[in-house]
Amino acid sequence: MPTAVPTEVEVPGGETGTVQDRPWIVIVWNDPINLMSYVVLVFQKLFGYNRAKATELMLDVHHKGRAVVSNGTREKAEMDVFRLHEHGLWATMQQD
Amino acid sequence: MGFEGRRVVAREGVFLLLLPEGERELLMQLLGELRTFLKLGPEDPRLRRLYPSAYSDDEEKDEEYRRLTHEELSSGRLAALDTVERTIAADELTPDQLTAWMHAVNALRLVLGTMLDVNEDDPFAVDPEDPNAREYMLYGYLGLLLEEIVQAQMD
Repeated sequence: MPTAVPTEVEVPGGETGTVQDRPWIVIVWNDPINLMSYVVLVFQKLFGYNRAKATELMLDVHHKGRAVVSNGTREKAEMDVFRLHEHGLWATMQQD
Repeated sequence: MGFEGRRVVAREGVFLLLLPEGERELLMQLLGELRTFLKLGPEDPRLRRLYPSAYSDDEEKDEEYRRLTHEELSSGRLAALDTVERTIAADELTPDQLTAWMHAVNALRLVLGTMLDVNEDDPFAVDPEDPNAREYMLYGYLGLLLEEIVQAQMD
């Protein structure tokens, strides 16, 4: 066994799922500046959603004030947030 | 198939750009102002929307995120401005060039909208006596142009 590879340490107490394991969610918040059509296009482009799904998410953002648009590891969530920021959307991430 | 007064039209893999000369001059001027603004850095409150927080509940992680991404967000926008300025007189744009236009126009709207503290009301319902009347009209115009840039990509 190569010793350079760090091994997972079993957390005593047998709790299933450490804090690190919980997935991160990416949230887009409603804002008064971005156009609704623009937000739909960005969701389609960045996440590969079809028009209907992207529109549904956009309407959630518009009416409920926020929508979860993607989830995954911290690294993936941060990349998604960054790409949303590149497009000027108001996005944050947090652990589910 | 008429253009019905549209300024951006999808045509066989490219986009026809049917902007009147005066609008191109206006855009050049506004983008020059945006370039000056971008040099102010992410702490300027008018640029707040260009550099949002990633971690709303963790200041330490958020600071790290900002430190790592500021340069790339900034250089990406400057590259978009370069592309628009280079193609300001063009009759047609490639998809990548149109994307640069979209980023540049949206960045302008984000800065102008932040300065005006806009709400979701009709951007053209402006009191002509308002000292910011011109900025409101520009903001409304940029919204129309962006809408056309978006629709052309969705056609």
